[in-house]
Amino acid sequence: MSTQQGGAQHVQSSLMRESLVDKNVIARTESQIVPILPDVNVIQIGGRSIIDRGSSALKPLLDEIVANQPRHRMVIGVGSGVRSRHVYSVGLDLGLPTGALATLSAKDAAQNAYMVSCLLAQHGFVYLEAPFVVQLLPAMLAAARGAVFNGIPPYALWEHPPAVGKLPPHGSDAGSFLVAEVFGARSLIFIKDVDGLYTADPKANPQAELIPEITAAELLQREISTLPIEPSVLKLMTHARQAKSIRIVNGLIHGNLTRALAGENVGTLIRA
Amino acid sequence: MDDNPILTALGKRLVSGSLSDAAVMQATEATPNYSILPWVNVVKIGGQSIMDRGREAVYPLVEEIVSNLGQHKMILGTGAGTRARHIYSLAIDLGLPVGVLTVLGTAVAWQNAQMLHYLLAQHGIPFIEPEGFNTMPHYLMERSAVICQGMPPYKLWEQNPDKGRIPPQRTDTGCFLIAEVFAARKMIFVKDEDGLYTADPKKDPKCEYIPRISVEELLALDLNDLIVERAVLEFLARARNVKEIQFVNGLKRGQLTAALNGEPVGTIIYRNGGAQ
Repeated sequence: MSTQQGGAQHVQSSLMRESLVDKNVIARTESQIVPILPDVNVIQIGGRSIIDRGSSALKPLLDEIVANQPRHRMVIGVGSGVRSRHVYSVGLDLGLPTGALATLSAKDAAQNAYMVSCLLAQHGFVYLEAPFVVQLLPAMLAAARGAVFNGIPPYALWEHPPAVGKLPPHGSDAGSFLVAEVFGARSLIFIKDVDGLYTADPKANPQAELIPEITAAELLQREISTLPIEPSVLKLMTHARQAKSIRIVNGLIHGNLTRALAGENVGTLIRA
Repeated sequence: MDDNPILTALGKRLVSGSLSDAAVMQATEATPNYSILPWVNVVKIGGQSIMDRGREAVYPLVEEIVSNLGQHKMILGTGAGTRARHIYSLAIDLGLPVGVLTVLGTAVAWQNAQMLHYLLAQHGIPFIEPEGFNTMPHYLMERSAVICQGMPPYKLWEQNPDKGRIPPQRTDTGCFLIAEVFAARKMIFVKDEDGLYTADPKKDPKCEYIPRISVEELLALDLNDLIVERAVLEFLARARNVKEIQFVNGLKRGQLTAALNGEPVGTIIYRNGGAQ
């Protein structure tokens, strides 16, 4: 199975001796993807929009999650909120680079995720750090009733430099999207404090209209100046292989999550 | 919140505004860039190009690294290579997604880093995992070098490429991002070619050598094949700290030393506005 060519010891494979940067080589690395956890729903709870509001917003939402447990298997990503904004402010003032800011911000989401896991512990939810998501998520879902994870992806010092400015482009929305994408999840639902996506920021402009359904590509073209989700998610969606749609719902309105899990048209659906 | 005297003007916008607001993102440009490890050199040792060749290529390079320990501080990152090509090929055939391929490929870069670590262990050079990076400054001050696997720690969170299933951000990108975040003195890629050509010199004998080029020009050429992952070029173009990256032939004795000493060996890709 091994062969000596050009001074290097190779292992026989369809990619042997090939440049993985060669466009022709890249183009032939396609195949049908097998979903790993096709019955799992990924629920992303916003940090700023839900967690920072405290008990009045979070408790009814967690009750709704528990009520849906018998019908739907859920893993819950949690975002960071105002503490990340504060640590960005201090970090930027000190001149720290994007990768350092990403490492700091991830701790805020970890705190929020840990609090959510404590509140759901008696219902059998476990908290998983990134290495455990890689190694143990399927086992945990077989043994436990659900899992809570840090929504921010583990990019840390390796966070991508953004096109503009210094803020880390991949927060908890991007991380939850990537979890749904890699596991081939049944659905991905973003829980925010607005009814969905609007033509403008509804908090600033009362004339803004709700968009019930749109594609990621259209949305990128519209260049709306503020979005309820991270703009990096839209770019990721244009390359989606499995997570072909995401739904944004208002978690302050009881029943929205249940309807979204049941596949009803609530909030905004963004298609890949 | 607006009358909070502790927050800076930017801090007030960050705390009260939307992080997806283009104006807020733009405002973060006007903050200082602090260099965390300005004296460190990041050296990436190729997987297929160096490690897979075994003793013949690796021993002389290890000797050259050791001879530079007194003069230069180095973060040594490793590539993956032929075993990664095998497992990518197998995993694609099994229908596994990009994130899983990254987990698998990381293990191969890790094996190469371990092997390099065994060869440098008697010089007190440690191997560090991404989680241990905060102890790195100490080792660099005491022993002048550390070894890490080159893959960024994205694991299942790796993003899909435009086409195909090969993870787009691999060991070249991981090492580049280490150099960028620490504002390293140099980013040197040690491969088995003298530098960049207009095509793969192993396959096309008529291709031309490029000793120095800007990343913007190189991206505009839209070459079918490159000496480096495309993500590195994309990130170099928008980098804040790294101004240029250098490619040297690790099979030629003295090239790494020359690059560490600031000589223009091999190929240099620079960003406009970068160091001449």
